[in-house]
Amino acid sequence: MNNLRYNNPYVIGVLLGLLLLFTFYTMGRGLGSSSSFARIAAGGIKAVAPDHAEENRYFSKYIRGGRSPLTAWLVFLTMGAGLGGLFSAFISNRVQGQVSRGPSIGVSARLWLALGGGVLSGFAARLARGCTSGQALTGASELAFGSWIFMFCIFAGAYGGAYFFRKEWL
Amino acid sequence: MGPLYKLGWFDFAYSLQVAGLIGFCFGFLLERAGFGNPRKLVAVFYLRDFAVLKVMFTAIVVCMLGLLYFSVFGWIDLSRVYLLPTYVWPQIVGGLALGVGFVMGGYCPTTSVVATVSGRLDGLVFIVGMILGSFVFAEFFPVLENLYKAGHMGQVTLSHVLGLHSGLIALFVCLMAVGAFWLVEGVEKRFGRPEALPKGSRKVKAGAALILILLGLILSLVNPDQAILKRALIQKRLMEIKEEVKETRPQAEEEQPTGFTIVEDEGC
Repeated sequence: MNNLRYNNPYVIGVLLGLLLLFTFYTMGRGLGSSSSFARIAAGGIKAVAPDHAEENRYFSKYIRGGRSPLTAWLVFLTMGAGLGGLFSAFISNRVQGQVSRGPSIGVSARLWLALGGGVLSGFAARLARGCTSGQALTGASELAFGSWIFMFCIFAGAYGGAYFFRKEWL
Repeated sequence: MGPLYKLGWFDFAYSLQVAGLIGFCFGFLLERAGFGNPRKLVAVFYLRDFAVLKVMFTAIVVCMLGLLYFSVFGWIDLSRVYLLPTYVWPQIVGGLALGVGFVMGGYCPTTSVVATVSGRLDGLVFIVGMILGSFVFAEFFPVLENLYKAGHMGQVTLSHVLGLHSGLIALFVCLMAVGAFWLVEGVEKRFGRPEALPKGSRKVKAGAALILILLGLILSLVNPDQAILKRALIQKRLMEIKEEVKETRPQAEEEQPTGFTIVEDEGC
């Protein structure tokens, strides 16, 4: 049985805010992760078809300067997040192979929806120059105008879409 | 004075190690809050559990207050902190699409990583989807470029747009956060099962809300923008005085550099 007793969200929020502040203080930038996946995509294209990657006007910014597209700050941060998440799940006995879903949806349908949601999120995060952490959390705490718009649009999009995916979760 | 990296305290290789450490804490905190579990995450969109909103808004308010107070005290140079630029249209379209992707896939990018390492196959599939989505975006970039660059306003903050100083904005954000928390706890009571959620005492919550508003109120009276400007002027004047003193007393000892600089990557 999974241990589903999670910590108080306000306490986690305060700690996360302090972590973000520490990140600003040391690095002069905020948290993020979505560009790691774009970098993995860029790295994959570079390995398969180097010329195509160079020519691509968007990916070429990740492979400039002779460095691997994966030698980047956010990629290391994302790998760290994986380790930290694993550690936390491990100490609370929450590491378990499963497909999380609501009671009225099958495994394969859930996986297809996860794939679709992933494609949409990956695309959207590139368009908006960041995701919930890199754009909404980081930008909003700097009071960046666009990030506040972005954050409210995430909630608007999700509340608007929730009705259509209720069978997946409820 | 921060930000340390921008002021040359350590180099790129060292910054990657810092990234690993910060990432570790980030992933740890997300998993603690239950954000490796998509049913916990999307519950916010079905009005049953507002943990996502509470964590996000609390973090934003704490960090915002921290940044403003740090800059008033002269501990951080905000002009060297990377401010995300505003591109109104891609941020609106991207935000809406990311929201739909969130409720459809059950994750946002970072939480899918946490979900994957705690053994969820759907998290891994979501990551594969994100890599594909980034690839699609890059391939269609020539078509999307106009939208990607639409509504560019530069690096503007709410205080530029609304014409109010950052202290007042901070106070509004604090008030909004406290109001939002109060509202969503009411909604949770109605639609969710509050007895299943992490508890907290009413007194502590009220006290914390009061402290937040007080900190915002102080900022709105201090006017951080003005304070930062004044500090810069004072520092400039101090430098001038130092120069004058040096000129009159040339035999004065040279100041030793303080702090340490990590030039090479030293490892852990």
